[in-house]
Parts: sequence; structure tokens; C-alpha cells
Amino acid sequence: MNEHPTVPTVPFAPFERRLSAYLVALWRLRAPIRPMRADANSTLPRRLRLTDGLIWVPDSLPGVHADQAAGLYRAALVHAGAHLRFSGPRFPVGTLKPIQVALVSLIEDARVEHLAMRDYPGLLHVWRPFHVAEGGGTPNAPGLMARLARALIDPDHDDGDAWVKKGRSLFFDGRAEWETHEFSRRVGGLLGNDLGQMRLSFNPKTHVVEPAYRDDNLGLWESNLPASAEGETAYESLRTEREERDDGRSDDASPGAEVEERGPVTETPACPAGEEEMAAPPALYSEWDYRIARERPNWVRVVERVPGVEDPVEVRNAATRHAAVADRLAALVRAAGVGRPRRLRRQLEGDRLDLDACIEVMVSRCRNEIPDPRVHAALQHRARDLSALLLLDVSASTGDQVPDGARPVLAVERDAAALFATALDCIGDRFAIHAFRSNGRSNVSYYRLKNFAQAYDDTAMARLASLSPGLSTRLGAALRHGGRLLARQSSHRRLLLVVTDGEPSDIDVADRRLLVEDARQVVFSLAAQGIDVFGIGLDPGGQDCLTRMFGPRNSTVVDRVERLADLLPNLFLTLSR
Amino acid sequence: MALNAYRITEEPYYHSIGNEIALFDAAYAARMPMMLKGPTGSGKTRFVEHMAWRLGRPLVTVACHEDMTASDLVGRFLLDAGGTVWHDGPLTQAVRHGGICYLDEIVEARQDTTVVIHPLTDSRRVLPLEKRGELVAAHPDFQLVISYNPGYQSVLKDLKESTKQRFAAIEFGHPSSDAETRIVCTEAGVPEEIAARLVRIAVSSRNLKGHGLREGASTRMLVHAARLVARGVALATACDIALVLPITDDADLRDAVRAAIAAVAA
Repeated sequence: MNEHPTVPTVPFAPFERRLSAYLVALWRLRAPIRPMRADANSTLPRRLRLTDGLIWVPDSLPGVHADQAAGLYRAALVHAGAHLRFSGPRFPVGTLKPIQVALVSLIEDARVEHLAMRDYPGLLHVWRPFHVAEGGGTPNAPGLMARLARALIDPDHDDGDAWVKKGRSLFFDGRAEWETHEFSRRVGGLLGNDLGQMRLSFNPKTHVVEPAYRDDNLGLWESNLPASAEGETAYESLRTEREERDDGRSDDASPGAEVEERGPVTETPACPAGEEEMAAPPALYSEWDYRIARERPNWVRVVERVPGVEDPVEVRNAATRHAAVADRLAALVRAAGVGRPRRLRRQLEGDRLDLDACIEVMVSRCRNEIPDPRVHAALQHRARDLSALLLLDVSASTGDQVPDGARPVLAVERDAAALFATALDCIGDRFAIHAFRSNGRSNVSYYRLKNFAQAYDDTAMARLASLSPGLSTRLGAALRHGGRLLARQSSHRRLLLVVTDGEPSDIDVADRRLLVEDARQVVFSLAAQGIDVFGIGLDPGGQDCLTRMFGPRNSTVVDRVERLADLLPNLFLTLSR
Repeated sequence: MALNAYRITEEPYYHSIGNEIALFDAAYAARMPMMLKGPTGSGKTRFVEHMAWRLGRPLVTVACHEDMTASDLVGRFLLDAGGTVWHDGPLTQAVRHGGICYLDEIVEARQDTTVVIHPLTDSRRVLPLEKRGELVAAHPDFQLVISYNPGYQSVLKDLKESTKQRFAAIEFGHPSSDAETRIVCTEAGVPEEIAARLVRIAVSSRNLKGHGLREGASTRMLVHAARLVARGVALATACDIALVLPITDDADLRDAVRAAIAAVAA
């Protein structure tokens, strides 16, 4: 529902980073900001929404002029921040009428803004320009409420209406009680009662909070409805909850923003193996069986398959999504001293004289010794000679959601791989990104997303974007194959980093220890070839098995999966020193 | 005396935050090597100057950098008409003549450089001058102090364990708001109300540490801004040139810090 279809909408995205930094600066608020899209009826949300510490922002606010948009988004985010900082627990709706609910919300808005302005008086200039309600005309409830909102924030504004004046004096006389959130409930209830007695019409279905920067206040109220049913406006859903459900609408949950956010993830992963094209002839590898203490020759069949291709935009945007991490990485890369010249002293040839060497020449002469002819110093660029292989586990379990976020483990792995690749690309180290999953010993699929020789370009990103979870984790076989590819690289150091989300398993292996012992054996044999293997586990419970496979110094468990994106490149730089 | 130029004659202003003065006194009495940790601009260098003045010792400061070699600290042979002549480095001067040697930002120096201080920082208290074939025993008044900013520490820039464990450490944080207000008032000569606002601004910028900023605004930056205000520059402009512009090049973060300044300054 676009209020002014002729006005072009201004998207929120370009403002997000600076405004979230602003909230951190003001209150150390690290509230996640989520996009709120149109619901099933393609109704565009007109106001922000706060739920459980999340700030939902419409992709764009309709009917706002471009030159106002920046100010409006700023005012809206700061208002949301003030709620998160100062609003207490949700109010119970109880027996409140819709108009009282609206007024309690209005008083609460004013209360948190005033508390925020105690510390930051300049916020007044952020909010006040949007309060433009004037008196005059036939009084109606929304108009009076907008005028009250203005009277509560704008000290210079003098409104003639008796009710607005009463609201203003009730609010400012209660200054001492602003700290308690019951204050809003009491004052708002009183004012709502008065307004009700004035017999002014108030339609909760069409009511939209004014001014435009304020959120819909849904997050202030207790609600028994499922999140997805949180409908068009706060007042309507609260009303339907309290009164009889007569419109037959609230039960069939329309896909709200939160559901939509998770939409693509809940799809059951397709089983891709078997249908995919082979990229190379299958390779056979042995597998260690700890029960007989020897290797079963030609036991596992690893098939390289052609990875899919998807729109690389998600992968390309990983750096912007993890801006803080990307910043730190850039600093790390700089600190890695790549390309920085190193001074070589006592050279036969060089671009300048080495003073220390000259002095020694003089000393030698005085002692009648033969002087050392190496009296030059030179600058040389420090060279790193390293190949790294990042091996990603894309088994079915990577489709699980991370515990504290609405994203699957695989998405986090992918972001981490993208950041890792970007960092390495800057340093100039040779690296490859491969992925694997298995479906029994005769069918271990291996995907080369990026080879050592390839550039990290759109093709590689598109392949990385195409990863989808499925099947099992036969780690040992993948390590053998990856190790063989890495061993062909003729660099001084070779590093194999494995990201896995749990202990290895496969459909044809009942003994849980078997694959762990096999992986351990592979790690030993790769170490003997001069390949360092490092394991990163994403399952906090999997420490023991990870330590068993990779050794305590060469494995780490990431307790919060979201940290992986941060840790992986960092760790790499430490290991590759 | 050799180090007269390094003596501090006037009291450097230092506002004590905890018991760090007493601790340093005790450590000096034991000639214990000290490490001062803390973010940039939190008063580490001022504290050493103040202590050197209190203890009446000369203070030899060396700003460490990546290309620093051991001979930059210890000394080297130079050429003159007759051949070579030995020239003591700053560390050797302090060791010989009994000063406090302060190695500022020690992590900037390469790890193989910093090991030259090892024999000075244990019970031996000697400095071997390998090139000269001399063993300099430390003067009884000599003390070594290093500063170390944990915020800069990365995987590639850190002290060796064997270096770290030779020092006792005093940690410097950002002072409490009241203390910082007083420091800004005294250093810049501005009214307390201006100083308090600047401190609120600093707190906002420190909230951004780790969210794009590597460090929040330091007390030193506040003093700079306040000095500009004292010379008649408007508060917002002073903050802009003394805080916002130096601290980041990121347009979004500048915007956030500027908006926070506007919110405080009203």
C-alpha cells in the first residue's frame, strides 16, 4: 500500500551500517537490524517494528522524499534504540481498550525519548523536525494524538486543546517517575480514558503511529499470537487477540517477515550426488581400520564432481555483511607485512652502503686484516611461500540452524570461506577451496570450488554460492584426496584447513570410532609428507573427537558458529607465520 | 653529569587514578623492570615523566619502530678521521649513568631486537656490548620501563613470552568520567561543563571500539579538542578536526561519531 505512488522510495540499505554504528556509539547497542518485507497481501510495512531485541526495518519507507529519508531513518533507528535501552518488559494488554493501548504506547514513546535526551540533549534535533501536527479543524483521535506527541517533545509548541494540555502537564509533572515504565501505563490509561469519553472515533485497523519515525510499538505489548500472525498494525492484532476473532483472518498466519527470512533455509535439501557430472575419473583410496590395525586397500572411491553455479552476489557481499571482521582482516593482512621490503645487510651488491659493514672495513684495515667486501645493503620484498587448502564439510548437518541466529551452518561456512579467500587473495598466497560429502564408501563426492591456479573471481564465488547441504561426512577419504592435491604444490609450507560441523559418519559405517581413527591416521601420514592439517569444529560437543583426529594443538572448536568467519582467516595467519 | 639533558625540571601534570604512583615507587625501590599497558593516549608516557621527576632521575625515551636494530639501542662504532669511535646508544647511556630508560611501544620493534634487554632485566643487571667486548654493569639507579599497547597486538606483533615475563605491569585504562573531566579541565583550561561534554563524546566513540574503530578517542584527543575550544573554536568544529577526522577514514563511522557528537553537544 503505497501512500504516494509518485514519490520514489529510498531504500534503507545504504544507511544501515552508519546507523548501526551510531547506536553502538550512543548506547553500545548491538541490536541486529533485519529487513522487513511485504507480507502475503503485498502490504508494505509502514513503520519499523521491534521484537525481542531485533529491529525490523522496512526495505523502504513509502511516501518519503529523498532528502528527508536520511533524517527519517536516523530518527527511527535512534527511537528504536531508545526503546531497547529504556523500555521495560512488555505490557500486558489486560482490559485496555485499543485507544488506551495506543496512548500508553504514545506516552512510552515520549518517556524513552526524554530519558534518552537526558544523556544526549542533541537528540531533540533528530526527532523534533518530524513533529509537525498543528491544531485546527475538526478534532479527531489520530490528530489529537499526533498533537499530543508533538506537545510532549517540543517545549516551544503551544497547543490550545485542553486534552493535549492535560496530557502535557500529566507527563511533565510526573518527571520524577520517568524511570519506571509503569508511568506510561498509568498516564496513557488516563488519557485514553478521557479521549474515549470525548466520543471521538478511533479505528485500530487503520491507525498508523505518527510521526513516521516511530515504530509500530508492537514490541511493547504481550502477545500470544505467533510471530507470523503479527499483522498489519499493532492495534489490530492486539484487538483481535482481546476480542472475539470475528474476521476469521488472524488464525491463518500470513507469512510475516520472520518466516520469510528463514524461507529458503527450511527447504529439504535435494540429494545431488549421482545426478551430478563427474569432473575427473574416480580415485580409489585405502582406509584405516583400527580393529585390524591395518589399511584396507582400495576401499573408498572418491569422485570429483562439477560444482554447481549460483548467483555469486551473496558471496561477494560477505565482506559487507561482516564489515567489522573485514576491517580487522584488512588490518591483519597489512600487519602480515606482505610486500613490505626487508633490508638485507652485508651484500656484495646493493642500492646503498651498509654503514656497519663500512665501519668494520675500517676496523679491519686498522688491524691489518683483509676487509670483508660485502659492504652494501639492499631492500628486498619479503616472499611468502605457502599453499593452503580449505576443505569444507557440506554434509546434511550443515543445513541445521546456528544456535543463535536464523542462518544455517553452511551459510556461515560460506561467509567464512569468502572472507578467508578475500584475505588470502590480498596477501597473494596460493590457495584452493574444496568441499566434500559422502554417500557410502563407493561414493565420496569432492568439489573443487577454487583451484590453486585459479583466480578468486566470479566463477569461484558462483561455485561457492551453489553449495547446499546433503549426505554424510567421510572425512578420512576427503583428507586423503585433498592431501594428494596439496602435496603436488611445490611450496615451502603446505597447510590443510578442515571445517567440519561434527564427528565423521557415513551410512555404511556403524562403528563411530572407525572414521575418527581413519582420519587420525590420515593426519599422521600427511604430517609425514610435510602437510600441516588443522581442524576447526563447529559442534561444541565434538571437542574430544576433534582432538583425537587432529591433536589438541591443531584443532579448535568454535563455540559460537558465527565466530567462524572471524576466526578462520585469523587462525590461518597465525599458522602460516 | 652525562644525562643532565634528560632530567625533568618541572613537574609534569599527572592525575593519579589509582595507586599506580605508590606501586611504581615500590617497583623502583626494588629496581624492578616495569611494563605500562594501555590504549594510546591513556597517560603512559606522562606517567613515566611524572615518576622520573618525582624520583629525580633522568629519563631516556626511545620510540621503538620496526626497523630498529639492537645497535640503535646499545650503540655502534662510527667513523671519524682517525678510524672508528664507539658511540653509546640510549640504552647504554641510561645503564652507565643511572637513568630510567623508557622504551615506548616496544611491540613495534622486532622480537630479535628486544632480546638485548634480557640480561638487564633479571638478576644479572648487565649489558654486554658484544661489538666492543665490554660488559657494562648497570648503575644502581638504572631502571627499565616499557610501554605496550595490547590493542595493537596482532598475531604478528606481540612480545615474546620470555620478554613479557621479566616485567611487572601497571594497566592504564580510560579514566573514570569525573577524573577525565578534571584532566581535560586542567590540561586545556576549559570550563568544567565543556570538559564534561567532551568526555561524554569520548565515551560514545569508545563504544565503537571493535565495531569499526580500533580505538576510541583518547584522553589526549580530548585535550586537543579542548585546547581548540579554549582558543575560541566552536565545540562541534573542534571535535571534528581533533576527534572525528583523525580517528577514522570510514565515511559511515565518521557520520556515526559526528551524529553522536551532535547528540551530546545539543
